[in-house]
This record gives sequence, C-alpha cells and structure tokens, in this order.
Amino acid sequence: MKRYVIIGTSAAGVSAAEVIRKLDKTAKIIMVSDENYPVYSRCLLSYYLANDIPEEKLKYRDEKFFDQNSIDPVLGKKVVKIEPQKKVVLLEDGSKIEYDTLLIATGARAKLENIPGKEKYGVFGLRTISDAKQINTRLNKTKTAVMLGGGLIGLKAAYAVHKRGTEVVVVVKSPHILSQIMDSEPAEIVQKHISQKGIQIQTNLAAVEILGSNQEVEGVKLENNTVIQCELIIVGKGVQPNIELVKDTEVKTNYGIVVNEYLQTSVDNIYAAGDVAESNDLISGNLTINALWPNAVIQGKIAGYNMVLGNTKKYDGTLAMNSVEFFGLPVITCGVTKQKDETIEVLVTKNENKPVYKKFFIKNGVLIGFVLIGDVEQAGVYNSLVRKKVDITKIKESLVSEKFDFAKILPLVNANKEKFFEPEYCEIV
Amino acid sequence: MKKTIIVETEKCLGCKTCELVCAVQHSNTKNLELAVFEQPTPVPRRKVEYINSVIISDGCHHCEEALCVSACMSAAMYKDVDGTTQHNEEKCVGCNMCIMVCPFGVIKRKGNVVVKCDLCKGRENGPACVESCPTKALKVSMQLQQIS
Repeated sequence: MKRYVIIGTSAAGVSAAEVIRKLDKTAKIIMVSDENYPVYSRCLLSYYLANDIPEEKLKYRDEKFFDQNSIDPVLGKKVVKIEPQKKVVLLEDGSKIEYDTLLIATGARAKLENIPGKEKYGVFGLRTISDAKQINTRLNKTKTAVMLGGGLIGLKAAYAVHKRGTEVVVVVKSPHILSQIMDSEPAEIVQKHISQKGIQIQTNLAAVEILGSNQEVEGVKLENNTVIQCELIIVGKGVQPNIELVKDTEVKTNYGIVVNEYLQTSVDNIYAAGDVAESNDLISGNLTINALWPNAVIQGKIAGYNMVLGNTKKYDGTLAMNSVEFFGLPVITCGVTKQKDETIEVLVTKNENKPVYKKFFIKNGVLIGFVLIGDVEQAGVYNSLVRKKVDITKIKESLVSEKFDFAKILPLVNANKEKFFEPEYCEIV
Repeated sequence: MKKTIIVETEKCLGCKTCELVCAVQHSNTKNLELAVFEQPTPVPRRKVEYINSVIISDGCHHCEEALCVSACMSAAMYKDVDGTTQHNEEKCVGCNMCIMVCPFGVIKRKGNVVVKCDLCKGRENGPACVESCPTKALKVSMQLQQIS
C-alpha cells in the first residue's frame, strides 16, 4: 500500500487528493495542515468579512471530505522540515510522518512589510480564516481602517470593511491602484468608481510607521509626515511562498519551490503545486508563481496524476489572470497587461459613460494578454486565444468589437485543429 | 459517457427560438408573458452567434476538462455524476472566475450570480432548446468519454 502525504489542505492539496483517491482506491493518503479548520476557500474571506456570505459558505468541501475520500487528516500541526533521504516529514510537535510520495502544497502567506510598529494589535493580513475572525473582532472597535496596498487583496478588503460601515483609506505606494495588473488608464477608471462609492484612495504614498500606545494600533504615519488616525490596518502587499520546510534539503528553490512540467521538484518522489510552486509561465516561459486559485487547482490535479501514474500529464504552464468585481464593476485581466516595449501592439476600445474599457496586447500576431472592465462576458474566449497562442491577425478587427464572441474565432479554430484539439471544439459541426 | 448539445451549423437559421425557450424554461414562472416582467430578467443560456455566413447556437459544452470547475473558488460549479457540468446558484458568489476561463463564453451573469446551460436537468422531454428547434439543428449527444 502506497503512502501519499500532502502538506496543505487548500486548492492544490484538495484537488491532488481527489485525483490520487480516484486513481488508487487503496493507497494511504495523509493530509497535513497547520490550520485547524475544515477545507475552506481563502478567496471567499473578503466576502465573509463583508457579511456577503455566512461562515458556513466558506467551505470548499463538506465536513465529510476526509472520511468520504478515506484520507487521514492531521490538522492544526505545522510541518517544520522534510527529510528527503529518510522520506519523512517532521511536525512541530516532534512527530514524524513517513511517505512514499510527497506533495508540498503549503501555499503562501501574506507579506507583512518591515515597518516599525507592525507587531501592534490591529495589524492583519487577510489570508486565513483566523485573520478574518480577528479582523471581525477588531471591527467592533474600529472607526477608521487603513489598507496598505492597492492591489486585489487591499481593495477586496477595503470593499469588505467599507460594507461593514467603517471609514476606509487605501494607501498605495504606486501612482495608481492595481499597478501589478494594469497600467494607469484602466486603473483610473476603477479608481474613480471605487472612490465614488466612498473609499478614499491615497496614491504615491508609503506608510513609514504604525503608531499606538499599549501595543494597539492608533494610527499610521505616511512618508509625507501626515498621520491617519485608525484602529485597524490590513496589509495587502502580496504573498510569499511557504518554503521554509525544504530549507537545506535537496529540494531546489528559487523564490518558490521549483517544479518541472510534471509539477515534480528536483527530488523524484516530491511534487509541489499551488502558490508555493514556481513553474514555467505560459507566455514568457520563465519560472514564475502566479498565485491564483484556478492555477492551484489545475496544478494539484496534474501533480496528483503524476504522483500515481508516473510522469504522464504535462502542465501547459502558469498563466496570470484575475477576476474581481468592485461595487458592480467587473474587471478581468489575463496574461501580459502592460506595454513593456514597442514590439507589443496595443488595441483599446472604451465607452466612458458605461464605463466599458477593453485593452488587448498582441505580439507577433499572437494575443498575449488583455484587460476588460465593465463588459467581461467573453473573457474566457480571449483567454483561450492567449492559451492556444494562435495567430489572431485575421480576426484582429473583431477583438475590439462589442459583438465579439466565440463564433468570431471559428476560422482560427478550424485552421488550427492541432491546437484546438479538445473534443468540445468538434461539437459545432 | 459525455452528454452535451451538438449544433449543426448548416441547419441553424439563427431564429433564436432556443434563446427564447431557454430563458422561459429557466424563469420563475416558466410562462413567456409573465417571465418578461421578472426581476432580474430571465437570461437565456444559449446564444445565437454569427460569423460571415455561418450561424451557430452555442451553449455550455459540458467540457470533460471543465476549466470553469477548476476555477470556481466557491465550489458552486461542479461535475455531476452523469458527467454534465452543473452550477449551484446557492453557493455562487458572482466572482466571475468561471467567465474568465470559459473558452466558449457561454456563462452569463444574472443578478449577483452566474447562470449556464444545465441541459434542463429534470425536464421530462430533455432540453427545451432541442425540443423546440424548428430545423432540428440542435440535438442531445451522448459520446464515449476519452480515457484520460
């Protein structure tokens, strides 16, 4: 009986476990997590914080998940080290778990800035259910909340806290919000929309010190020496992969744990998937972590297959993509979303009144990315063009048309059958 | 076994009967005259699309490797035991992640959630669009699934 150990019970860990169980009915599967909750979806935490959904709805699988799949859960225990030579993982309480094949799906954690005062009570990330609950408690004492960071986490948290009736200020170091995933023109549309709903946004400003006596947050000092009085600070400055457990082992790391196209690490019987795994980017080919739920699920699945069947399934590569909706304004971005140089052609269409804004990035005739605001319904069709890397020159005009839909890419599908090989493309005859 | 709806482009006239009956079938009242007053307005899960002289009626293909299911962070989108891709509106938070990855662009927004073709699950005579298609351009297909 083979022993599979999976570290992590989120997107990648769960999808891997389900595949492993499907392929091997008798194997022993052990899942370890430092969190002591049933399987839940972190991406829903901002919805929970906003009171848009009850705690019950955070569940990604029902409580019987471990039983139904005959998985032995080891919850509330952190893995501190793995020993590839001995094929064991060491837990913080000193106990050991043996494995034949291991999946590291430890994810990432919120990056807390190195800012004086960050240890004061009232400073949180928004990454775990425990973070959300602590923020919930703190909200009772909060009149003003400050978000550090104008990315997706900062803005989703800002929306949630605003919805709870708290005054919110978003402090952004960059010249505009969402600077990681779009340039200034689309970002300003989103920024204007959010500001109109009552969320204050201060750009080009970094926080320099968190203030407060008695170890409790009372304010934040910015680099222009102004002070914002606040009781709660949520830090949304990105995430960093949890790789400490493989430190000083044969498992190769870069920023995250480096994996090949089979999601296998530099050690044969150890795989990695999800936000901890650094794999080839679908567009650039460079080692990248696109820490996203859909990528984690697919990586987990593929890792699961390969852990049971040997390296049989290849991963196409990781693709940056994001979907978010702020106060009724949907935004979807994918792939390359900034014009890095002149070799990238840019197409834009906009209607400021609605507002609708669409921007497409094309290189050597191939769509390599896009930003959609306001009208996102056909995002997946554009996304498929990015993934399939086909020459879109013939249909370039219709990309920016508001009538764009799947039919418009039919000539490309028919001319590139080797790339559009999925059986679904044969269902239009 | 994979269950889905096939469209024969040569027979499709683009009459949009499928869109209309789909919207009515998925309305609260299931009655056209009353459904038009519902809020939010009933949404068809099929869409007639054109390119040059080719017309297709497209809807969810119930993909074997359903990207929408992988992308769904609330587990609202799921694979049913019959292989079809189904959606639980109760669990949906309207994050649009499924819309972000659907290669056919056939997942729609309705109010705060998304909706898609459910093959008229539980309807005695099968999908309403197939039943009502005047030229029989639409048909339900059962295919042997590829072993992956």
